[in-house]
Amino acid sequence: MEKIKQNPIVKKIGFNRIILICVLILMYVVFCLGIKGFAAAGTKHLLNTLNYVYFLGFLSLGVTFVIATGGIDFSIGPVMFCCALVGGYCLNSYKMPLVADIIIAILIGLAFGIFNGYMVAYQKVPAFIISMASMNIAKGAAAVFTKTQSQSWPLSTDPVNGWFRNLISVNGFPVGLVIFAIAAVICGIILYNTKMGRYILCLGSNREAVRLSGVNTKKWEMSAYVMCGLLTGIASIFFVAAYTTVQPGYGDQYNNEAIAGCVMGGTSMVGGLASILGTVIGVFIISLLQEGILAFGLGKDIQLIVTGVIVIVAVYADVSARRRKN
Amino acid sequence: MGEVILTMKGIDKSFLGVHALDHVDLEVRAGEVHALMGENGAGKSTLMKVLTGIYKKDSGTITYFGKEVEFHNTREAQDAGVVIVHQELNMVGDLTVAQNIFIGREPKKGIRIDDKKMIEDSKKLFERLKIDINPREKMKNLTVGKQQMCEIAKAISHDCKLIIFDEPSAALTEKEIDDLFKIIRDLRAQNMGIIYISHRMDEIKVITDRVTVMRDGGYVGTLITKDSTKEDIINMMVGRVIYEDPKTHSMCPPDAPVVLKVEHLNAGHMVQDISFELHKGEILGFSGLMGAGRTETARAIFGADPKQSGKISILGKDGQLHEVTINNPQDAVKAGIGYLSEDRRRFGVVVQKSITENSTLACLENYLHGPFIDKAKEKKDSERLIKELATKTPSSDQLVMNLSGGNQQKVVIAKWLIRDSDILIFDEPTRGIDVGAKNEIYKLMNKLASEGKSIIMISSEMTEILRMSDRIVVMCEGKKTGEIRIEEATQENIMDKATRNIN
Repeated sequence: MEKIKQNPIVKKIGFNRIILICVLILMYVVFCLGIKGFAAAGTKHLLNTLNYVYFLGFLSLGVTFVIATGGIDFSIGPVMFCCALVGGYCLNSYKMPLVADIIIAILIGLAFGIFNGYMVAYQKVPAFIISMASMNIAKGAAAVFTKTQSQSWPLSTDPVNGWFRNLISVNGFPVGLVIFAIAAVICGIILYNTKMGRYILCLGSNREAVRLSGVNTKKWEMSAYVMCGLLTGIASIFFVAAYTTVQPGYGDQYNNEAIAGCVMGGTSMVGGLASILGTVIGVFIISLLQEGILAFGLGKDIQLIVTGVIVIVAVYADVSARRRKN
Repeated sequence: MGEVILTMKGIDKSFLGVHALDHVDLEVRAGEVHALMGENGAGKSTLMKVLTGIYKKDSGTITYFGKEVEFHNTREAQDAGVVIVHQELNMVGDLTVAQNIFIGREPKKGIRIDDKKMIEDSKKLFERLKIDINPREKMKNLTVGKQQMCEIAKAISHDCKLIIFDEPSAALTEKEIDDLFKIIRDLRAQNMGIIYISHRMDEIKVITDRVTVMRDGGYVGTLITKDSTKEDIINMMVGRVIYEDPKTHSMCPPDAPVVLKVEHLNAGHMVQDISFELHKGEILGFSGLMGAGRTETARAIFGADPKQSGKISILGKDGQLHEVTINNPQDAVKAGIGYLSEDRRRFGVVVQKSITENSTLACLENYLHGPFIDKAKEKKDSERLIKELATKTPSSDQLVMNLSGGNQQKVVIAKWLIRDSDILIFDEPTRGIDVGAKNEIYKLMNKLASEGKSIIMISSEMTEILRMSDRIVVMCEGKKTGEIRIEEATQENIMDKATRNIN
């Protein structure tokens, strides 16, 4: 075991990440063997899983930055819905061009990120409280703005805006996966190779030491929330590109799923340690699990329970690993 | 000295491949005070944790009153009469003294807590210790010394036969230490076994009967205190000779320009009207008792805490003093000041990150290649400083949490050297650092000063002040009470000024 751990490739990827990949593969095999018709359905379940991966992946990448600072954001799910609803309303009711709607959706995500980040970093309001409040504001504002109407985004058959669906796939080729992969790589570069990422990780680990090194910790802490908001905005686009319709008043469940994906991947809830690759694998596991539960004939409620349990297990594993080290 | 009550033999303990204890022996008799000494990281605390059941030993035997025992937790150890008085006090400030002593095992009367009995019992304990503390007083209203006494009272309330003191004197005043020693002597007279862990050589000579010395997790030897000298013990601890001679004259040339001038600095009641000058290449010692306001002064100058008024001027490139505005650490770092906190783990290093990442924390701008960090350049500079400062580490990628205190301090020094700060404020530079590494830090500070860095050194150790400083500022209760040239400095005149305001 020690020998495997010392292997340079294993070291680079991280032993825990490799275990996660094995878990992911094992899960798929178990589903194929254990659920009648899972394998026979061919690519159906895989495509459903991928649809989930797209939007959840962006959410999870975003919240990884926030958690790396030692903060938390419970508003991402509802904010994502708020983005999609307002953008959709602009499209459907104001007949604004699709590109403008997409930009509006992303900007709304960004605005929430800026607000959350400012309140946490500069005004020292606990992230927990601010993001809970933002969650309510996002839900309420979206409902008011859309007059509590569901919003639909264009289908692939739409003569003008049909290209919207190409964001996810073109003739069966998973474009969405490529975009998500590129986004993940960019996030990885930001986190590990830029000043922003370095300061985010360091201040997540010991804010006071970083401040006393002459670093503007407030600015960099806020930047993590802004990044999270931006990625939440992008997530909203992939959500509607996969599922077409959004309803006001929902979105909370995706908070926990995104956080679960992130924490499972090895990002520590107390800050300072984050793994983009881990988050990506975590997102795949969560997405496959959701699909598996549905395919098994169990409903949304069971999905919620499973996500909750995963969060507890992942955080517990992190906490106990920390305790062992000390 | 009476019968042998505790024998630990061949105790072995490893953590993830690190040999923390290597066949350590320890023998304690009834009615003796047995010192356990060694540098930081020598394994003293680990040995005590094995004894009290916090850690499980890998091998070896523990014999207690003739029976081989193994405690699985502190509760079992307590029940058998082995109690530890910790360095950090585990007290609840808002509870009364009596409530703290009997916390978790309150005497009951039916389902109600029997307050009367608790207070009576506390009084009896204090009588036994011959100290005067009101059991009804809230814990937070007591001095640290009194709190320690309560901790001891709590320990002996467990009918203990072996009591372990883990650096009990670290936070106490001279008077409180005297009281503590009285109690320890009483306990000894009551035929208890006492293990006394301390770094303070003078105390060891005064209070202990035997000394067991550990080094690098191993057992070095046991001496009878009155038959051995301070030097014997130190040599056993470090395995080499060290010198602690005071400086006789200033190393700083008399015409050295002023690099930092602080005038009428006020920041809260701990920093009142502080003025001083720091010269180029000088080591300016800040002496005083704990709570004199030295750290607060340093933090105010560095912008870490807000200040009410005062003028700070810094030597510019043009050779003139210029007033600078320092509202936060960013301003201070820009002005060329670096601050090395007494609490490195909290304020100095990011322990989860590598040496390299810590070293470049204060000047990451210099390592940017477009938006990206030039990791190769970073590594090169960090490795250069590892070599220069002789930091002991397998590589520059090592996480700082795996380094010893002395090497962590070197990482903080590296951070300010890479930033090329001209004024360095060392706050208790050798606190928690073992004797060998201490000397290295001293040498390093002297070298930095000779290279033209200007150093403010806050220290509570008189020997350190007298050994390192070119000039000494003495503070007492937030005010500057004196400034002494090293040529005229003695322990007595520093202490006189350090206690000037105290009635």
